[in-house]
Amino acid sequence: MKVVVALKRVIDYNVKIRVKSDGTGVETANVKMSMNPFDEIALEEAVRLKEAGIVSEVIAVTLGTQACQDVLRTALAVGADRVVLIETDVELQPLAVATCLKAFVQKEQPRLVLLGKQAIDDDANQTGQMLAALLGWAQATNAFKLEIAGDHATVTREIDGGLETLEASLPVIVTADLRLNTPRYATLPNIMKAKKKTIESLSPADLGVDPSPRLKTLLVSDPPVRKPGIVVNSVTELVEKLRNEARVI
Amino acid sequence: MSAYRAPLKEMRFLVHELVGLKRLAELPQWAEITPDLLDQILDEAARFAEGVLSPLNAIGDRIGSIRSDDGSVTTPPGFKEAYQQFVEAGWNSIATPQEFDGQGLPRAMGTPVSEMWHGSNVAFTLCPLLTQGAIEAIHIAGSEALKQQYLPRMVSGEWAGTMNLTEPQAGSDLAALRTKAIPNGDHYLLHGQKIYITYGEQDFTSNIIHLVLARTPDAPAGIKGISLFLVPKFLVNEDGSLGARNDVHCVSLENKLGIHASPTCVMAYGDQGGAMGYLVGEENRGLEYMFIMMNAARFSVGMEGVGLAEAAYQHALKYARERVQGTPMGTDSHQRSSILGHPDVRRMLLTMRAHVEAGRAMAYQGSLYLDLAAHHPDASVRADYQTRVDVFIPVIKAWNTEMAVNMASLGIQVHGGMGYIEETGAAQFLRDARITSIYEGTTGIQCNDLIGRKVMRDQGRAMFALLAELEQELSAHLSAAHAFEVSQIEASLKACDASSLKFFSDLKVILNAAMVAVHTLKRATEWVVATSVDRSRHPEIFAGAWPYLKLTGNVLGGVMMAKAAQHSAQHLSAKEGDIDFFEAKIRTAHFFALHVLSENEGLLATLTQGGQSIIDFPPNAF
Amino acid sequence: MTTLVIAEHSNLTLRASTLNTIAAALQLGEPVSVLVAGYGAGTAAQEASQVVGVHQVLHADAPHYAEQLAEEMAVLIQKLATDFTTLIAPATVFGRNLLPRVAALLDIAPITDILAIESNDTFVRPIYAGNALAKVQTLETKKVLSVRPTSFEATAAQGGNASVVKIEACAAVRLSQFKSRDLASSDRPELAGARVVISGGRGLQSGENFQMLEALADKLGAAIGASRAAVDAGYVPNDYQVGQTGKIVAPELYIAVGISGAVQHLAGMKDSKVIVAINKDPDAPIFQVADYGLVADLFQAIPELTAAL
Repeated sequence: MKVVVALKRVIDYNVKIRVKSDGTGVETANVKMSMNPFDEIALEEAVRLKEAGIVSEVIAVTLGTQACQDVLRTALAVGADRVVLIETDVELQPLAVATCLKAFVQKEQPRLVLLGKQAIDDDANQTGQMLAALLGWAQATNAFKLEIAGDHATVTREIDGGLETLEASLPVIVTADLRLNTPRYATLPNIMKAKKKTIESLSPADLGVDPSPRLKTLLVSDPPVRKPGIVVNSVTELVEKLRNEARVI
Repeated sequence: MSAYRAPLKEMRFLVHELVGLKRLAELPQWAEITPDLLDQILDEAARFAEGVLSPLNAIGDRIGSIRSDDGSVTTPPGFKEAYQQFVEAGWNSIATPQEFDGQGLPRAMGTPVSEMWHGSNVAFTLCPLLTQGAIEAIHIAGSEALKQQYLPRMVSGEWAGTMNLTEPQAGSDLAALRTKAIPNGDHYLLHGQKIYITYGEQDFTSNIIHLVLARTPDAPAGIKGISLFLVPKFLVNEDGSLGARNDVHCVSLENKLGIHASPTCVMAYGDQGGAMGYLVGEENRGLEYMFIMMNAARFSVGMEGVGLAEAAYQHALKYARERVQGTPMGTDSHQRSSILGHPDVRRMLLTMRAHVEAGRAMAYQGSLYLDLAAHHPDASVRADYQTRVDVFIPVIKAWNTEMAVNMASLGIQVHGGMGYIEETGAAQFLRDARITSIYEGTTGIQCNDLIGRKVMRDQGRAMFALLAELEQELSAHLSAAHAFEVSQIEASLKACDASSLKFFSDLKVILNAAMVAVHTLKRATEWVVATSVDRSRHPEIFAGAWPYLKLTGNVLGGVMMAKAAQHSAQHLSAKEGDIDFFEAKIRTAHFFALHVLSENEGLLATLTQGGQSIIDFPPNAF
Repeated sequence: MTTLVIAEHSNLTLRASTLNTIAAALQLGEPVSVLVAGYGAGTAAQEASQVVGVHQVLHADAPHYAEQLAEEMAVLIQKLATDFTTLIAPATVFGRNLLPRVAALLDIAPITDILAIESNDTFVRPIYAGNALAKVQTLETKKVLSVRPTSFEATAAQGGNASVVKIEACAAVRLSQFKSRDLASSDRPELAGARVVISGGRGLQSGENFQMLEALADKLGAAIGASRAAVDAGYVPNDYQVGQTGKIVAPELYIAVGISGAVQHLAGMKDSKVIVAINKDPDAPIFQVADYGLVADLFQAIPELTAAL
């Protein structure tokens, strides 16, 4: 069976982001970009399923500009069999991505789609669930463990305060959480080989999708700066502040 | 915990633009090498260095490698697994021959990658580095049978290699070697003791292939009687399986100042009847084979210096940003600031930054020369580049490693008292760097090599040719900068952009300083050549070997800094690319011109006038 | 123009996040209905009807809502959505799992993890792990939202009197089945990923005294850490160490107890969102990075704090 893995190119998690002074977004020019870390985990899971003989082909797909080719090259170097760029210059929002992916999945007919639980740029945590809805498939988000036996997937999910196990018949959408696996490093020989493979290209129009944004970002700003600390006079006051001011308990 | 970050922007700028790997892509074997491939390799190497090697650096230092009574060596926790990951990811084979499944990439591509290994964990990196050296030696001189039997598994990293040169009485002077190799059928039996054997024993690999210098019974005395032998830890059967344990053992580990994770072994050969060894190449040519590899080995140690100095800089900068102490001098503010607000702290950090950038640029340039000297299809072009390599190597080795020691020391200084506390992590860079100016030929050896073999021997021909080329390049840049300035002044005046105007006037200062530096080195070289006519004055010349080498490094680095500034100014005027990066490049080059190139006149004076003061102080006067 | 809050509950009782979500819904200024879909969830529905500000409670009860699986819930909410202009859920794992599925079925772009409501159609949400804030306006005909519970003060659980309307369940879709749930027992979260970290230093004076921190950690679901000084003194094992040579942590709440705040320790925890320092030495450097400092004898303050939570 085939598996599709959806990847997003984001600002590298080590980069300290800078909000643009005009408030239109964060600075992305001359900033190191990488594959979204949760998507790396999703890709790793797909490659492991292939190594275990459960999956026959791993197809990695991403959406965006030509620049996104680098994450696809990385995907090839990690073990994807085919990679596809759905090319567009439009600002992509999760619903548009899910709609494009739906059309792509219908074209490729995989039995499993793996995605990261969220991208570390917009932190939306939406695409997998929306793709499942559009396809009418079962969904298992925040996966901690994935087992596939025959036509069934058993997924243990990270939930608040513990774990939950679901079972679903294939096809199914699974989104990866941090502890699902530890992604491998791309190997040098595979990087060299990946260089020779082609990146397939599609456009949203090819898939019959209009990817225009439906939400408008009015302003991106820095979070409020940390206030200078205060000295509290009693445990009671401390508890009150933590509850009502800092809201952390 | 030292969180090393690969300086990818800087590396890319050098390899794509300043050094220009395009010239390598012209060679048929590297036609496939494209900028995006290189970028991807650098990205992945950075991930590995930052994610696997860097987190182990401090623990490796703290725990170190430990020898058990049975002679086995246990590397620090995590190292064995990291080695496994390293070879599985294929990094061991980056520059190894393609015929043995290596990637065969040019040194100029491997150099930034190895800088990342050194910067993130130099003690770990010594193992693959030594294996690389052993592979090269076998590849250069070994018989086809030896190559087939040993190279594939060394290239894959399944087995590691070591280099066994030094003996207690034979350090820099290998002529004094005593280890014996007695012919015994198709092999030799070796007896003797070797010291300072890096990774002579470890728990990474199932077999260790020792390359050992030794004398056959009828060998001539001195350096012309030394042969090279391959001595496996476990003998290898015909079918490739491992056979009996060979008579070679790690009898102790040295207790060292730094690189604690790297086991530095005393190796005993033949304590139980003789270690089986196989001749590599021909008898009595061992040292010759070593010399073929020497440039590459010295280059690598120079890169250790660059990597360590970069890591020390990053560490100090991070601390300076976060450490709040005092209010900045010369301001009315009573607001306490981070120590980056203090001019003297900025001086130290800029000193580190400028030296690292200069040393790196000179080394990357040298890596390109190494590739062209080895692989250009035209023999006369190869020979030309070889003379360039010969001048660059001792400078890359000695200037960068001395620089690393000084910069790591400055890094501690930036930390103040915290720097002297081991837990802070700044001290490790100094302790680790301290060996780099000693092994693979001490700084003294490099200085003598430069001034003696590379300058006096050909009456400065290669050096003068290099200087003429640099002068020509700089004067082209200067006249371009001049024309440029005129147009920029007009543009800047129109745009009321005083800051960009400043960059162009700084650029002229930088280029002029580099030109002056080239002339200073020319005068120094003229003095060396003229003085060397009188043999009796040779001791005086060699007494100035260090100031001469330091001056050469300042000049080679300074010219690279000036070229980088020139490129950056072009980007700035076109308003393209990473403006912050290019502005910083010009500022750093400006600092280098005013704070480092300004040393040059002093170095020249020490060379030309100071040597006699050393000769006048005879040994018995100490 | 009405708002539907999707309640998170355990069938027996509402989850606290539901009260925060209702509070956010009330800010929109339109009548608020609450959907309690579950199995045997009558008590939770009753509870919802008592919440101040709730206009009506829609209660759907069927076996396939027992675990509130997204596939089942989404179909029900899609059907109800015709009557509402805004659908709103807590941005907890429950809401994050469910809400985008609902939105896609409705072909509406949702806005998730809202921190503040600017106006009827404009919301503030964190991006880049909270290192920036985005003000987002929806151009959609309907709003599908999730809100971060900690950003909205809970509305009063008692005092309202809404009607509870039983609604019909949709047919089960049975795309996935619930197998089991394993809620963390007393196991502490891992130091590196914990939401709350309590660290002890030399001030604790012995390993036994760390038990005091454990009682507090149990209350807060916190992980326990230590300064290098406490580790060196043998109070706790090495892997407790937070700092330059130990673990680097950045929890929502970091409580430093009896820690003076050596630079090496600060390097390991200074990125925590909220830092509390409890130390009897008012000059301890830890107070320089603390958001809340309490100058007190920890042997009194910690039991008092544990009791107050």
